[in-house]
This record gives sequence, structure tokens and C-alpha cells, in this order.
Amino acid sequence: MPRKIVKPEDGILVAQNITKQFGERVVLENISIAIEKAKTTVIIGPSGCGKTVFMKHLIVLERPTEGSVYFKGERIDDKEEHRLAKIRTQFGFCFQMGALFDSLTVYENITFPVEQHYKIKDYKALADTVKQKLAMVGMDGFQNYYPASLSGGQKKRVSLARAIALNPEIILYDEPTTGLDPITSDVINELIIKLQKELAATSVVVTHDMKSAYKIADRIIMFHKGRIIADGDADHIRNHPHDVVQQFIHGKVSEAELAALRLGGTKFETQFLPEDFE
Amino acid sequence: MIETIGRKTIEGIENLGRFSRFVARTFGAMAQCLFKPRTYPLIWAQMYTIGVQSVPVVMATGAFVGMILAIQTYGQLASMGLEERLGVLINIAVVKELGPVLAAVMLAGRVGGALTAELGTMNVTEQIAAVQSMGTNPIRYLVAPRVLACLLLTPLLIIYADLLGILGGYLISVWQLKINAGAYWNYSAIGVERWDVCTGILKGFFFGGAIALISCYKGFTCREGAQGVGEACTEAFVGCFISILALNYIFAVVLDAVYKSFWPIRPLL
Repeated sequence: MPRKIVKPEDGILVAQNITKQFGERVVLENISIAIEKAKTTVIIGPSGCGKTVFMKHLIVLERPTEGSVYFKGERIDDKEEHRLAKIRTQFGFCFQMGALFDSLTVYENITFPVEQHYKIKDYKALADTVKQKLAMVGMDGFQNYYPASLSGGQKKRVSLARAIALNPEIILYDEPTTGLDPITSDVINELIIKLQKELAATSVVVTHDMKSAYKIADRIIMFHKGRIIADGDADHIRNHPHDVVQQFIHGKVSEAELAALRLGGTKFETQFLPEDFE
Repeated sequence: MIETIGRKTIEGIENLGRFSRFVARTFGAMAQCLFKPRTYPLIWAQMYTIGVQSVPVVMATGAFVGMILAIQTYGQLASMGLEERLGVLINIAVVKELGPVLAAVMLAGRVGGALTAELGTMNVTEQIAAVQSMGTNPIRYLVAPRVLACLLLTPLLIIYADLLGILGGYLISVWQLKINAGAYWNYSAIGVERWDVCTGILKGFFFGGAIALISCYKGFTCREGAQGVGEACTEAFVGCFISILALNYIFAVVLDAVYKSFWPIRPLL
């Protein structure tokens, strides 16, 4: 795929020629993406292709080995941590496993970012705001629960409520439907659409759930081995000529991988039997 | 072989550099915490966990140290007819060395292990990244209150250990070994100086700081998974233990030099 040239003013959030290396391993190679305002951009790709690492670059939880990240035209990847604090309040990050603070209740989890950045005088108003945020994700009434007593789907919903606590302009979702049953996954998809509409927020979603991607995306970008191999709307991706894209969206194993599996032998040939070790 | 030594040396220096940066950032965050009353509740909460809840184990440690010292040294002194001087031996050992060091070792096990496990688990479950993603400095929110609590309360815990050590030694010496109580205290008062008590307590600041900083650093840098957290806890305890002993050695040398240089003008002071 020919590399696009992106400029800092091309989107609300712009990654320009991002390369990330962990030691000798190159995780991202020259990635350039301009995220459009008030749109939902979905990044898909197989596990280990660098999607999550890329998303962490957008909020500077990771810093690029090469390249730069711009937010509203201002470079942010070279800023010091204390300067990033203010910028990060305009982001909401929904982590893959929720990352709720397990020593705090649901209520305290949601008030955490608010209390960190504002001096609270009216606690009644704060409680009302929490109630409203939880109601948006269908979790009102769970204020006094601890994360350990919530199910996977409930944790993700609370995580969503926490991500929107500061009314962010950009919401980043890291695999929001992974590990959830199909119905709960769909509830999360509907929530993402609802939040995008109601808050007019820009959303970036990392997922490998194609059903979810088709449902929520304005634009889908596919990563493969740290590079972008497809970029366009849902129809563009559906009809993409690249074999890897087709295999991924249809969930089909490649011939090479099948051959490798066959080389591994049959179940009976490789089965471990106790008498072999006695 | 040479390659391995070289690699390990570079890794060690890099690690030391990262730890030094972590310490510098923690001190910066601690200064911010002290001037922001909003962070005081976090410090109180850590003081309760680290300090108040450690009082019983530290007191038990001190008491046993005093009692064991009495039993072990009585025979030696009695054979020379010096058993009435048992008090000075027990009390100087307790307030100067054994009380502070063993209380700190106990804290390294109880508090250090808990800090590493807690922060390590937060690290692998991305809770630290979550704090950071919400625009909060995780060192200011998570590390500074813990280090401050440990730094401020370890000297107080050492006082508890010293008191119980003195009491334990007294009970065994006077009640069990039938040493004259008046002589026991008189010799103790002559032999144990204010300097000994103060330096023992002063060590607490450094021991407490070392325990909290090493434990928090190991928690923040632990590898993924249950094994990673377990390894970090072990490394933290070993690191704390070695640091306590090394710091104690440095204190012994430095304080001895200071004491000797002030000895001639002691009556004036």
C-alpha cells in the first residue's frame, strides 16, 4: 500500500511516521495516520501486530523511537510528563481489561479523574454526575460495588463511564469487546455508538472483532506486522484485494499455517502418554 | 564469559540509572505532596497501613531481641562477676544497632513485600497506566505518599522496638536472672548516651526511605504475570535487606567519625 503523507493539521490526532522498537524488535514501522474529528476510527489486525502499542502512542503512554504525534496541530510526543497531564484530560482511555482500581469502589473509580483535576465543593453535584455517567452505560445503582464483584462486561461498562468522566474530546478503546459474550459485545458496541453520538467525541477503537468493527466504524485501518496494509470504510475493507485482509476479515487460516499444522503430526502421534515417561 | 560480564555490568548501570531517576522524581513528587493538603488523606491512609499496623510486629521483634540478649550474655558476664552490667550491654545493643536494624528488616518483610506486590499487581493490570492516562502523575499519587509514610514512621517504629527491647531485657534480667534492678538501671544510664539513642532513631529515616523506594521501584518495573510480581517481591526484599545492612555499615563509620571529632568538645555541648 502506498504510504500517505500526513500533516499535523490533517486531523485532531495525527501520528506521523511512527516507528517503535523494543530492543531489536520492530513493533511499528513508519505508521502515519490522521484521525478525523468526531469520527470513529477502528484499527484491526491480528494479535501482536502492534495495534495496542500504536494506541498507547496516541496518548503518549509509549513514546515513539522515531516519528511524532500531534494533538490539535501541537506536537505532544516530546512533552514532559507534567506538561502532558493537561492534554491527557482531553482523552478517555478504556483499557482492555478495564484497569479499574480494585481498591476503590465504582463510585470512587469514576470520581478519581474528577477529584484529581478539580477542587470539589459540591459533592451532591458530583454524585449526580456519577449517577448520570453510570446511567449512560447502564450501570446506575452499582456505585458502592468493588470491581472484584463485577462481571467482565460490567467492568468494561464502568471503565467506559470512567473514560468519559471528564467529558473527553477523544475516547480510545482498547479491545472493548474481547472476552465478552456476543450479546454483551453488542451492548458495548451500541454504547460506543451512543457515546460517540451524545458526546460528539472522536473515537479510536482497537479490535480484532470484525462484527464490532463493521458496526461502529466510519473508517477501518488494518495493521499487519507493524505496518498499515488497508485503510478505508467498511466496504473498502470487505472488498480489499489483499489476501491477508480477506483471511483476517473472514477468520480463515492461511495455507502456509495449515501446512505448518500438518507438519506437526496428528493428535495420536504427538500425544503424551504416561508410559513414555515411566 | 567476558561478554556476559560486560552485559551484566551494562544492565546493572542502566538499572542504577533508572532507579536514580525514579528516586529523583519521587523526591520532587514528595515536595509537591507536602505543599498540597489535598494529598494528605493519601499520606494518612498509608501511615495507617505502613505505620500503625506494623506496631505489633515491630514491638514483638524488639521485645524478643532484648530478652534473647539478656539470656545469651548473662552467662559470660556472670562468670566475670559483672552481671549487674548486663543492662548497659543489652540497652546499648538494642538502641544503637539491633533495635533499628531488626525493626527495619521486619518492615522490609511486612511493608516492602506488600508495597511491591500491590504496585506490581497494579502495574501488570494496567492500573498504573490508567492513572497516567487520566493526567495524574502515578509517582505523585502512588509512590510519594508511601515513601513519605515509611520515611516518617520508621523512626517512630524504631522507638517502639527500642522500648520493648529495653523492657524485654529488663524483665528477663531482673525477674528471671534476679539482677538488682537499681544496679541494672544505674549502669544502663551511665553507659547509654543520648547520642546512641538519637543515632539509632536517625537511622530509621534512611532505612524507611530505602525500604519504600526500593519496594515501589520494583513494583513499578516488575515483569508481566504472577511470576513477574513474585520475582519483584523477592528482589525487593533482598534489595531492602542488603541496603539496610549497607546503610548501617556506612552509619557506623560516619557516626563513629563524627562522635570522635566532637568528643573533645563534648563537655561544652
